[in-house]
Amino acid sequence: MPLFEGLGTGGEKTAVVVDLGAAYTKCGFAGECGPRCIIPSEIQRPGSTQPVKVVQYNVNTEELFSLLKDFIHMLYFRHLLVNPRDRRVVIIESVLCPSHFRETLTKVFFRYFEVPSILFAPSHLMSLLTLGINSAMVMDCGYTETLVLPVYEGIPILSLWEALPLGGKTIHKELESMLVDQCTVDTDSTNGQSLPSVMGSISESIIEDIKVRTCFVSDLQRGQNIQKAKFNLDGTAQRPDPPPDVDYPLDGETILHIKGSIRDSVIEILFEQDNEEKSIATLILDSLIKCPIDTRKTLSENLVIIGGTAMLPGFQHRLLAEIRALKEKPKYKQSLSNKNFRIHSPPAKPNCTSWLGGAIFGSLQDILGSRSISRDYYNQIGRIPDWCSLSSPPPESVYDPGKTPPPLMKRAFSTEK
Amino acid sequence: MASLLQPDRVLYLVSGEKKIRSPLSQLYFCRYCSELRSLECVSHEVDSHYCPSCLENMPSAEAKLKKNRCANCFDCPCCMHTLSTRATNIPAPLADDPAKTTMKKAYYLACGFCRWTSRDVGMADKSVASGGWQEPDNPHSLRISKLIEYYQQLAQREKVERDRKKLARRRAYMPLAFSEKYGLGTRLQRQRSGAPISSISGLSLKENEDQKEIKIEPAQALEEVEPLPEDYYTRPINLPEVTTLRQRLLQPDFQPICASQLYPRHKHLLIKRSLRCRESQVLLTLTNPVENLTHVTLLPCEEGDQDDQSTAKVVLSPKELVLAGKDAAAEYDELAEPQDFQDDPDIVAFRKSNKIGFFIKVTPQQEEGEVTVSFKLRHDFRNLATPIRPMEEGEQGTEAVWLVHHVELSLGPLAA
Repeated sequence: MPLFEGLGTGGEKTAVVVDLGAAYTKCGFAGECGPRCIIPSEIQRPGSTQPVKVVQYNVNTEELFSLLKDFIHMLYFRHLLVNPRDRRVVIIESVLCPSHFRETLTKVFFRYFEVPSILFAPSHLMSLLTLGINSAMVMDCGYTETLVLPVYEGIPILSLWEALPLGGKTIHKELESMLVDQCTVDTDSTNGQSLPSVMGSISESIIEDIKVRTCFVSDLQRGQNIQKAKFNLDGTAQRPDPPPDVDYPLDGETILHIKGSIRDSVIEILFEQDNEEKSIATLILDSLIKCPIDTRKTLSENLVIIGGTAMLPGFQHRLLAEIRALKEKPKYKQSLSNKNFRIHSPPAKPNCTSWLGGAIFGSLQDILGSRSISRDYYNQIGRIPDWCSLSSPPPESVYDPGKTPPPLMKRAFSTEK
Repeated sequence: MASLLQPDRVLYLVSGEKKIRSPLSQLYFCRYCSELRSLECVSHEVDSHYCPSCLENMPSAEAKLKKNRCANCFDCPCCMHTLSTRATNIPAPLADDPAKTTMKKAYYLACGFCRWTSRDVGMADKSVASGGWQEPDNPHSLRISKLIEYYQQLAQREKVERDRKKLARRRAYMPLAFSEKYGLGTRLQRQRSGAPISSISGLSLKENEDQKEIKIEPAQALEEVEPLPEDYYTRPINLPEVTTLRQRLLQPDFQPICASQLYPRHKHLLIKRSLRCRESQVLLTLTNPVENLTHVTLLPCEEGDQDDQSTAKVVLSPKELVLAGKDAAAEYDELAEPQDFQDDPDIVAFRKSNKIGFFIKVTPQQEEGEVTVSFKLRHDFRNLATPIRPMEEGEQGTEAVWLVHHVELSLGPLAA
């Protein structure tokens, strides 16, 4: 890790790298090994008691502008402690981010904070930079959804994305309904009350804490037995013995008794196959069979799992086992049965891996400069280039007029057209 | 005095990008543009860093080096309170005479709030009061710095390549295929030498630069992942031993699951902000009272005024009101002579040093609801700062500028 941050070489100041997730935001400086802060993506408004989520796709522009402005203000002046005007910004984003959100975010950074330049970096691609490889099948298990995107030779194959809305949010909902149905609460005066009678609803942060501290993912065999017992088609399936119960204190006197059976079964919803026989494990296989034949071997032997939900104990082991079991199914057997599946372990925790990739990229100062959108370009053109819109002119006229524009694949990697 | 807690009664309109109405206590004034500014229309800048517990100001360079953390103060990893250093006496053998033992001081960190100590994590007691405690390093930092070096080398190559391309003559008669690095020409070259197509590493086949090649091992994928230990399913959880998500996220490099691995971190610094007016780039101050006489005229809002949101008609005094200048010494001087102004008792209720109370007649126009009155406040302002234009000799004060502010008064709901 460099001790002298570019002051000796007379270079520019280190860039700011931000990964705005739906649940948590990772923020820090380029060239460092980890983010400076991982904070929930929400702000406290003076009027209301509950914090407001920042990453919302359904609010109108003005409200979103004000939310993002307050949030980024807090990032700069409470956590990063630098001037926004001096440093370039690298924003790690999901390729499925709505254009409206992206535009508003750009407007906040350029118009209000007056940063010199922005680079939008796709999260799946950035995670490859932490490994030093060029091709991988990347799966991001986040809060709102799980998104799989293959990257081959440094280029995300955009048409082969696969996603399911199964993530931290679904786990929280499932856990809350299980707690309300099955668990009892001891207050100081009474014992064995049902949960809704004691408190109206549990806040999501408590549910998240319960999930993080007590729940885990069982291995394949046990998990399949649990699923069979739940659906109980034969009537004979026996659930494996549940792990011990946990007494979770809600506050000083109220204690919630969490049944052991909840602890190992709540995360099964990610692996249960729904009516279309999709689970997060099938996402990888579905994407793989759509990939060009020559690429399949490389992609299957290089799996990368990122995202906060992937940090649950036992998750990666179960995922790998599920994939190996599923590839024997008739749907995949023909094309995938001879493939080896291997998984990488990046030099960072899964929730910071794409941040780290952005930090590595952000430390390459010349490249960052040439591939970013500068403030002048934005003021001139009025909007940022987007991979789904083909009408923006290139920042530098590399291409003579009259020649055909570069293929779509290049556009996916860099933000210049 | 309850009105002190309701600053929203009198609102001033700030004409920025958005029309913001805000009480005067939350507004700033730019002496250069002679306009009111609110927090939204100014740009914030970092002024200086300081530690919230030891209140030590740090120069920016040191703050950057220490990653915005105080050198002396620590935070408890469990409850985020500030840790204090405690000392105990332990017997220890003397250096020169191992037979005798003497009491030496040993220091450890402890939290007064949640009773966490540095001994819980296994940190040995130190013999110096401050400066002995180290934060653990990230185990991956070596690998990451190697990766950064490797990519920097590739970036250098790409830059050289790009510069060379810019300088090379553009041959317009050649088709697209031969002029771009994604074109067929280079692809044919690469296919002949059997190297993979790659946007990142394809440049390595071009004419060599005489640098040393930095090669890194690409990461190896693992065939097997460690499964959960067998007793995971049967072992009861000791909840206080497991870290909460918030505790883990305070240490992004490690994110430990067990509380026995939660090491303390240095305290994060805070900053003082300075505000700059966006248009004139001048540092702002709070609205400052001027020292000379101020003439104030109250004007009614025009009919077609878009900013008018009043629900009541107001009759204002047509005459000018005169406010005495602020005399700082007068506050301490109880026997100050009242200045002789001729006040119309109908208009002026009272006068005290530099304040004045005046009457206005309000006629509510709606049956019920909040009564708001708006009017324009026009006053003169003398810029005491050094003017930009050079002044002639002998000219004492600066010229007066008449400023008009749109003011809204909310008088509360209508009493029956």
